[in-house]
Amino acid sequence: MDKAMLKVRNLHASVEGKQILNGLDLEVNAGEVHAIMGPNGSGKSTLASVIAGREGYEVTDGQVLYRGRDLLELEPEERACEGIFLAFQYPVEIPGVNNTYFLRAALNAQRKYRGEPELDSMQFLKLIRGKLEILHISDDLMHRAVNEGFSGGEKKRNEIFQMAVLEPALAILDETDSGLDIDALKLVAEGVNRQRSPDRAMIVVTHYQRLLEYIVPDRVHVLSGGRIAASGDADLALKLEEEGYSWLAEGGIQALEGAETGSGGAGAAAGA
Amino acid sequence: MTGLTEQWSDALAAAPQEPAPAWLRELRENAVGQFRAAGLPHRKVEAWKYTPMTVFDGLRLTAAEPVPAPVADLPPPLCESSVVVDIRDGALGEVPADLPQGLTVLPLATALERFEERLKPLFEAVELRGATRAFAALNTALATQGLVVHVARDAAGGSAAGRLLLRWGLSAGAAATMGQFRLFVLLDDGARLELVEQYLGSGEAPGDGAAGLNVLCQAELGAGARLSHTRVQAETEQAVLLTSTMLEQARDSRFVYRGFDLGAGLARHELTTRLTGPGAEADIAGAWLLDGRRHVDNHVSVEHLAPGCASEQFFRGVLGGRSRGVFNGRALIQAGADGSSVRQSNANLLLSPLAEMDTKPELEIYADEVEASHGATVGQLDEAAVFYLRSRGLTDGAARRMLTAAFCRAVTDRVADPILAERIGGLLDAAMPSGEQL
Repeated sequence: MDKAMLKVRNLHASVEGKQILNGLDLEVNAGEVHAIMGPNGSGKSTLASVIAGREGYEVTDGQVLYRGRDLLELEPEERACEGIFLAFQYPVEIPGVNNTYFLRAALNAQRKYRGEPELDSMQFLKLIRGKLEILHISDDLMHRAVNEGFSGGEKKRNEIFQMAVLEPALAILDETDSGLDIDALKLVAEGVNRQRSPDRAMIVVTHYQRLLEYIVPDRVHVLSGGRIAASGDADLALKLEEEGYSWLAEGGIQALEGAETGSGGAGAAAGA
Repeated sequence: MTGLTEQWSDALAAAPQEPAPAWLRELRENAVGQFRAAGLPHRKVEAWKYTPMTVFDGLRLTAAEPVPAPVADLPPPLCESSVVVDIRDGALGEVPADLPQGLTVLPLATALERFEERLKPLFEAVELRGATRAFAALNTALATQGLVVHVARDAAGGSAAGRLLLRWGLSAGAAATMGQFRLFVLLDDGARLELVEQYLGSGEAPGDGAAGLNVLCQAELGAGARLSHTRVQAETEQAVLLTSTMLEQARDSRFVYRGFDLGAGLARHELTTRLTGPGAEADIAGAWLLDGRRHVDNHVSVEHLAPGCASEQFFRGVLGGRSRGVFNGRALIQAGADGSSVRQSNANLLLSPLAEMDTKPELEIYADEVEASHGATVGQLDEAAVFYLRSRGLTDGAARRMLTAAFCRAVTDRVADPILAERIGGLLDAAMPSGEQL
C-alpha cells in the first residue's frame, strides 16, 4: 500500500471567482506533522477548507487523494467519517446545542459510519474524562452551548478536545495559534503533541513560527501565490521567523539557504 | 353576503333555542343578529388579512346538540394529571365527580345556575359586533356545550395534583360540523391551576373532508392567582381550529402560557390578556413547526392597564414546505400604567423557499417610565453552523435537524415541568419540517 495518506497534485481552486490555489503539490505520510506557512492571502486556509469540503470553494484543476481515494468526491461528513478533521480558525458558535450532546452525536455518527456500536451517555462520559483534563476543559464548558460565549482560548481548546475524542487519521489545524496567549498556546500544543502517532498525520497551518516551537514539525512548507514556494525541515520555520515573508514577493527564494525550492513540479514538496 | 355567510346565517336562524336563562337567550339572539349583519371577515379586514376563508367551505354549522362519541380511542394523555376531561368534536365527555379539594369542574348548563353571577358579566363582555368578531358571535349563538372550571382560594395547585388536562378530539367527515365550545376558568384570589390542553387528533385514521372547532375561553385571575396554561396542538391537516382565549388579571396575578402548534390545516389562536391590577404578570411563549400547506396564525395582545405590570411575548417559528405562519403581537401600555415592563420577541426560520411568515409587532405606549423591547426576525439556518456540524461527521439532514431543534428549545426550555417539556420536545422532533418537501 502507498504510504502517502494525502496526495495533493496540481491543485487549483477559486473562491467567488477569485483564483487562490495555483498548482499546489503536497504529500503527507502517516506519522508526519507538516507545517504550512505563508503570508496572508497565500492560500493556507483555502487549502484547509478544500480538504475539509467547505462549500464555496471550487476546485478548477488538480487532484486530492486521501488514502488512495478521490477526496473531492466525498461530502464533508463522509470526509469526517473517513478520518479527516479540521480544527477551525474561527470555531462556530451554535446556540442551543449542548457541547456534550453535540460531540457524542458526532462521535456516534462516525462510529455508525464505520459499523461500530454507538456509545450511550455513560460510555461517552467515561471516554472523554481523561481528555477533558489534558485540555483543561471544565464541566461548565461541556454543559454550555457549543462555543457560545467561549473565550478565544476556550474555543481553540474545544477544537483540539474534539480532535482528541474523534481520533482522526488526518488532522488539519487551521491557525489554531491565532488569538492565543502563551499559556493557552502551550496547553493546545500539549494536547496536539499527545495525539501524534505513527498512524496519524497532521497539517498545521500557521502564520507564525511561534506555534512550531511547541509542535515541532517534520516538514515545513512555505505557501506563496497559491503554491508551495519552498519546503524544508523544522529549521525552515526559524529562518522564516528571521527573514519574514518579504523575500517571497521579491522572488528571492535563494535568500533561504538550505531550503528546497518549489518549482511547481510534482514531488517538490513531498516528504523527503 | 358571501355564500358561506348566507349558509351559516340560515343555519343560525333555524337553530332551536336551548333552555337557558332569559339574559342568555337574549344574548344568543343578539349574536345571531350581529353575525347576519356583519358576516364573515374577508381579506380586507386587517386582523384576518392572512387567513383564507376558503378553508371553512364544507364545514356545516349546526345547533343540534352534538352527540358525545366514545372517547376510548383518543390519543393517550400528554401528561400525568389529576383530572382529565375529553371533548370530542365539540361535545363534552364525562366530567369526573371526584376532584381535588377546591376544584370544581362542571358542564356549562349546570354551572349556569351555580355561577350565574360570575358568568353573566363574562358572557356580556365579549364583543360581538363586526366581521372580526364573527366567530365570537357564532360561538355565543351556538355554544351550548361548555365547561366551567373554578378554583377556590388556597386550593392545591401547581403540582400534578392540581393539573387539569383537556383532551380534544376532532374527527374529519364529509358532513362535518364546526363544533362550538365555551370554556370558563375562574380562579379566586390566591388560587392556582395548571391547565394543559392537547389537540392531538381523534386517534382514528383521518377521514375525508374537514373537521372544525371554534373554542372561546374566558379566564378570570383573582388577586395573586396563578394560571399555567400549556397548549399542544398537532391536529391532522383536515382540522380547522379557531381558539380564542381572553383573560382578566387582577393585582399580582400571574399567567404563564406555553403554546405549541405543530399541526392542523388552519389553526388560529387569539390570546388577549388584560392586566387590570398592579403587579400582574403575563409570561407568554410559544412555537410553531409547520410543514406541507399548514397555516398557523397567532394573534397575541397584552393590555397593561395598571402600574408595575410585566409581560413578555416570546415566540419561535419553523416553516417548511409551502406552510404559512402569521404572528401578530400587540402590547398596549395605557396612560397611567407607569413602571411597566414589556418584552416581545418573534424569531422565525424558513426552511423552504416556498414557506412564508408574516410577523408584525405592535407596541402602543401611552405611559411614562416604561421598559420596552421588541424584535422580529425571519431568517434561515446558519450555513456556517451546518458546515461545522457536517465537518464533525453529522449528515446534512442531521445537522439541520439539530440546529432547528436547538432553535425551538428556547421555547421548550420554558416549560417548567421537565417531563412535560421532554414529551413536547419529542412531538417537536417528530414534526420537524424538511426543507425541500413541497
